Amino acid sequence: MTDINYISGHPSRDEDFDLYALGALDAGERRAFESHLAECADCKEKLAQAQGRVALLAAAAPQVDPSPAVKQRLMRQIHADAVVSPATPSRSSPEVEYPRRGWFARWWAAVLLPAAAGLAFATAYLWVQNRRLDVDLARLRVTMEQQQDQLQQQLQQQEQLREQFQDAREIAALMAARDTMIVPLTSQRGMPQGSARVVYNGQMGMLYYDGVLDAPPAHKSYQLWLVPKDGDPISAGVFNPVSGQDTHWMMKLPKGLDPKAFAVTLEPSGGMPHPTGPKVLVGAGS
Amino acid sequence: MSSETGTDLSLSDAALVERIQRRDESALAALYDRYAGMLSSLLNRILRDTQAAEEILQDIFFQLWQNASRFDASRGSLPGWLTVIARNRAISRLRRHNPAAGDPLPETIAMPASSLESAVSQRELMGRVKSVLQNLPGEQRAALELAYFEGLTHSEIAQRTGDPLGTVKTRLRSALETLKRNLQP
Repeated sequence: MTDINYISGHPSRDEDFDLYALGALDAGERRAFESHLAECADCKEKLAQAQGRVALLAAAAPQVDPSPAVKQRLMRQIHADAVVSPATPSRSSPEVEYPRRGWFARWWAAVLLPAAAGLAFATAYLWVQNRRLDVDLARLRVTMEQQQDQLQQQLQQQEQLREQFQDAREIAALMAARDTMIVPLTSQRGMPQGSARVVYNGQMGMLYYDGVLDAPPAHKSYQLWLVPKDGDPISAGVFNPVSGQDTHWMMKLPKGLDPKAFAVTLEPSGGMPHPTGPKVLVGAGS
Repeated sequence: MSSETGTDLSLSDAALVERIQRRDESALAALYDRYAGMLSSLLNRILRDTQAAEEILQDIFFQLWQNASRFDASRGSLPGWLTVIARNRAISRLRRHNPAAGDPLPETIAMPASSLESAVSQRELMGRVKSVLQNLPGEQRAALELAYFEGLTHSEIAQRTGDPLGTVKTRLRSALETLKRNLQP
């Protein structure tokens, strides 16, 4: 399919030349256009105008300046080229100029060949040195990564110790307070067996649980509740103990609660917003 | 005004090209300062790869250094010539062609703008072209940009956009007519 009309052998519209300059013509259209161009000086001139118009589209590209390194590399490159091929006497010659042959060229060859051999040797030497440096660098990188891992572990240990120390201080403060209550929790009949205690201070808003309880059944968790005298039970922790092993944690709750009781219930794994399962351990609050 | 290497920066493109033919490195540096920003913008827009764009940019100016005699200032505009070379090289690279086997270089290119030899005239032209493009209907602008910046033909644009071939041709023609009407002196 072509939509370029030729009148008296020439493309009929200026946009035909723009489309060619743009490179938008498909292969068949392009070939037909080029076969005409080869024979028509007037159309070549029109194409030059079209090339210029289309080239203006470059100005629509967002501004991106090249890094200064490009100019530096270019100037080094042309300087080296200027040394090798110092003259371009003919403006009409389309080819790159090469050094003149003759005694001058032979003299250059006499100088350049040994220089090239020296350069090749130096390149090989530098390559070997570079390989060694690469190996050393890889070793250093491994050592550095190991040291970073060790440092990370030490920082984690320090953080754990700091948290344990903070917990110990808070527990000590909780135990020492005069209005702290210690509530033993006892097992309910037909439920998993164990014993626990809750240490609670309403003014401080702190609760500490410590106990031993059989592991919960599959897909179940235990959940500790503070049951206030007024209002709904408040979750004070979800836990999945290992049978025979002690479980304890510290929790901050809203201050000023007046607990009627504490209870551990058996809930779906992960806990619930409100108690739904049977009571496993129970203790009176006051 | 002179560059650090002693070339008068107000010299015309033609005068600088003539100096390049006499192996004047500072003349090439002056032309680089004049047009590298414009070409770099075009190359980056087409390639979206700074490293590839900089490689081609360096190569274009090295080509100018080596083949300055091929440019005849009386028959065309240097920025137009450089722009066509840059676009051809970038699109060849984009389409994985051998850059050396890209489109043949145009013999002459007549740019309608009077002169792009100063940064001010380049900025003014940039503003005018952007303004014309922004006022084109969106589909026309998109088709024109796919053709110019990605080197797609009518059929390839139709395939890319899912539009009928005839519609794509009409859009490109309309866009080019508008461009010509607004930018031709």
